[in-house]
Amino acid sequence: MTTPSAPGLDYSTAGVPVRDDLRETHAAMLEYLRQPGSWFTGDERLALAAESRNALACPLCRQRKTSLSPEQPAGEHARVSDLPEALVEIAHRIRLDPQRLSREWFDRVRGAGLEEGPYVELVGVVTFTAGIDHFCRALGIPVFTLPEPAPGAPSHYRPEHTRGGTAWVSMLAPEDATGPEANLYDGEFVPNIARALSLVPDHVRLLQHESASHYVAMDAIQDPSVRRDLDRLQIELVAARVSAMNECFY
Amino acid sequence: MAAVNGTVSEQGGVEHAAELVTFTEAVMGDDDTALATARQALRAVLTPAAFVDTCAVIGAFNVVDRIADSTGIPLDEPMVAMTTEVRADLDLARFRSSANTPAE
Repeated sequence: MTTPSAPGLDYSTAGVPVRDDLRETHAAMLEYLRQPGSWFTGDERLALAAESRNALACPLCRQRKTSLSPEQPAGEHARVSDLPEALVEIAHRIRLDPQRLSREWFDRVRGAGLEEGPYVELVGVVTFTAGIDHFCRALGIPVFTLPEPAPGAPSHYRPEHTRGGTAWVSMLAPEDATGPEANLYDGEFVPNIARALSLVPDHVRLLQHESASHYVAMDAIQDPSVRRDLDRLQIELVAARVSAMNECFY
Repeated sequence: MAAVNGTVSEQGGVEHAAELVTFTEAVMGDDDTALATARQALRAVLTPAAFVDTCAVIGAFNVVDRIADSTGIPLDEPMVAMTTEVRADLDLARFRSSANTPAE
C-alpha cells in the first residue's frame, strides 16, 4: 500500500509510525483548504488557516485571553494576511478564545455584514486548522506547511431547505437533506455537531472523514464497543478532558 | 468522571488515566517543556499506535469543540435527559456555552 503523502506533510520527526488513514485525512484536509469553497477563494481560505495559526502569536489575542472581557483591550490584531480586519478578528477569536463566544457576539458579527454562509465556511477552515495543529503539537512535530492555493472562484452554493432556530446558524436537518445533500448524513440519529456546518456541505463531509480517522466514525459513536489501540474509556477520557479545558458544554 | 475536570484517582478505572490527562493538559497548554515530559511519560506506558490515537483524539476535539462554540448548537435532546446528573456533578453549567442549550 502506498503511504499517502502531500507537499507539506512531514511526520519524519514523530518517532512513531502514523497510520495511513490519518495521513490520508491530513492530505485531504490540506487539499480541501487550498480549493475555492462556497464563499471564499482558495487564497482566502488559506489566509484564514494562516490567521487561525497566527492567533497563537497575536499579542492582542494573548492580552484579551487573560482579560475579564474577551473584547478588551481594543486594538488591532497581528496579522499574516490581507484579509479584512473583521475576518481576522473572528478567526483569532474562534482559534484562541472560543469558550467565550456568545450569541450577542455572533449577532454583532452578522450585524456588521457577514452572512451566515461565509461565517460557517470561516468556522470550518479555522477549526480544521486548529485540529491539525493540535495533532502536530501532541505528536511533537512541526505544523504542516500550508499548500499553495488552487485557482477558481467560490461556488456561492447554499443548500436548499436549511432552517434557523436551533443554533446560531441555519442548519440542514436530515429530513430536508435532498438532492445534492441526499447522502450527506449517515445513521438514524444525526447530532447537532454533525449538522452545524451544513451551510457548507463539503465541510460536513470533511468533518465526517476527520472524525472517522481521528476519533470514531460519527455513526459509530453510540457503539461503546468501538475502540482503537486506545480503549474506548481512554478515548473518551482524553476527549472529555480536551472539551473541559476548552470549556465546551456540548 | 472527576478526571474530566482534571482530578485523577487510581481507582478511576481508566488505564493510564494519569498519564493521559497530564499529556492532554500539556498539549492544551503553553509549556513546551512540560509537554515533552508528559509525552515521554505517556509513551513509556502506551504502544506507539495508542500514543498516536491519543494525539488524534486531541486534534479531533479541538475541531468539534470550536465548531460547537462558534455555531451555538444546543445539546441534542436525547442527551439532555440522559446527562442531567452527570452535567450537575461536573458543574458544566459554569461554561458560557451552556447558554446555547435551553434550560430544562
